[in-house]
Amino acid sequence: MTKYFTLNVKSMLTHPELLFWSIAFIEFWVLMWAYVFGAYVPKVEEAVRTYTAQAYGSLLTLSLSATAVGITEGFLHSSRSIRFVTKYTRLSPSRFMAEHTASSMLVLSVVAAVMYASIAGVFAHKFGMYTPPVKPLHLTAVTALGCLFMYAVSAFLSLAVVVLRAPRSARFVSYIPLILGFLAYGALWLDFGAAAYVSPFNCILALCIYYYSEVKPTTGAFVMGGGAEMDMGLTLLSLVCWVVALMALNVLLLRKMRGVGVEEIRVV
Amino acid sequence: MIVVEGLKVSYRWRQEPVLKGVDGRFDRKSLILGPNGSGKTTLFRAMCGLTRVVGGRVLVDGRNVEEIYAEPGVLSVNFPEAYSLLSVKVRDLITLYSDLAGSDPSKAYEILEDLGITRELLERRKLHELSAGQRKAACTAMALSMGARHVLLDEPFEQLDPARKGRLIGHLARYDGIILLNTHETWLMKNLPDWEAYFMFEGRMYGPARVGELLNVRLCMGKRARAVLCMEVSGRTVSLVKGRRGTLLTSLESLDRVYELALEAGA
Repeated sequence: MTKYFTLNVKSMLTHPELLFWSIAFIEFWVLMWAYVFGAYVPKVEEAVRTYTAQAYGSLLTLSLSATAVGITEGFLHSSRSIRFVTKYTRLSPSRFMAEHTASSMLVLSVVAAVMYASIAGVFAHKFGMYTPPVKPLHLTAVTALGCLFMYAVSAFLSLAVVVLRAPRSARFVSYIPLILGFLAYGALWLDFGAAAYVSPFNCILALCIYYYSEVKPTTGAFVMGGGAEMDMGLTLLSLVCWVVALMALNVLLLRKMRGVGVEEIRVV
Repeated sequence: MIVVEGLKVSYRWRQEPVLKGVDGRFDRKSLILGPNGSGKTTLFRAMCGLTRVVGGRVLVDGRNVEEIYAEPGVLSVNFPEAYSLLSVKVRDLITLYSDLAGSDPSKAYEILEDLGITRELLERRKLHELSAGQRKAACTAMALSMGARHVLLDEPFEQLDPARKGRLIGHLARYDGIILLNTHETWLMKNLPDWEAYFMFEGRMYGPARVGELLNVRLCMGKRARAVLCMEVSGRTVSLVKGRRGTLLTSLESLDRVYELALEAGA
């Protein structure tokens, strides 16, 4: 590892906007889920666990999506530097991608850990009981896969903007993960049907619910009690395919990109 | 050595090219002189592969620049955008780039202290928090400290006071490698008489000529028989000639003045 790894972690974990939108803002929703939406949840272990699983899945997806916005913006603003260092320093494109992935994964994991800890703490206070995940190792693995997907999608979006030379769309594109994250959050009320398998954001949400509570989630409309029960194998396969495809594309695009000037993004 | 052959660059589809077929062979320290907007910065971006080339090619030590990856010591540049990899304090940035290039960070600190920028300031500020002059100096110091065989310096004297300009010239003169330096100011020429000079106007390059040879040349409108160089500026031919008639090149503060002279002659 070069110093890039540690400095990237330091830079992201001290970025006030990233911390606000990824953690502080979502903490507000943790409180809402516990004390407002959770007012009518019976204080029965199974009910509390299922509700906690839904909260963890939904809020983790939102929180990681917000972090993905920060990663996308950071990538876009440093695209010319990335091109420069991958050509004229020992950081080759694949090594850069490895270190950027590792450092971003660490930051996403910290955000996920904070989400888990705060949901566990606040919900334990609200319901008077701690309901740990039924399959903690599986949940950890799926959370890590979710982090990897969020990284892959943010790197892909920023690389696409740079390679297609579309800095005008940079601001909008950087918010796509959050928009899709909120769309997946809509699964609480909307039945996505087969689209729940296609949307990786819905897959993260569903897998988290399943491995936290061992209750198979439906394709949507959790609050209304609608939707068909999801096939968890297919859901996992869909998410893995997304991650593999996006990471492969990222390595290809990284060699293609020339970078866009920060001023081009700022002017727009 | 950097060789550019028929280099054409345009930033947008169907836009008039910024570089209109530039040829050059840079095997020693060289100045690229030209007014603002003549394509000097674009040429440097193309030379290091930071912008898309629509025609021609760039060879660095005989290799196409597009094929160069992960090769420290080949080339460095002082574009601030090359040093915006992370939003960290300048001290961390110097540490990072030295680590990535395998060079000694103390060289960058030495240059910066010589230019009046203290370590305390570098520990407190990020690159974008420095003044324009300090930012340019920091990027130039990092470019020089990377120990590359080729260093591209884009207007390194911009917003530096005369004393600091003099000290930076000393560092450039002592540098063991090929430096290409672009500027629109002519005062620099008398300080670097042994360097080669190229001129850039409206996306075309003219030269080379030895800087020492250009110290007494004058600008005349029209094509002259014994001209050192002839260039096309705003549809007119401008000749650099030795003699008493015309405007002394070094008397122009900025090469932007050449446009005015061409327009006045056309009026």
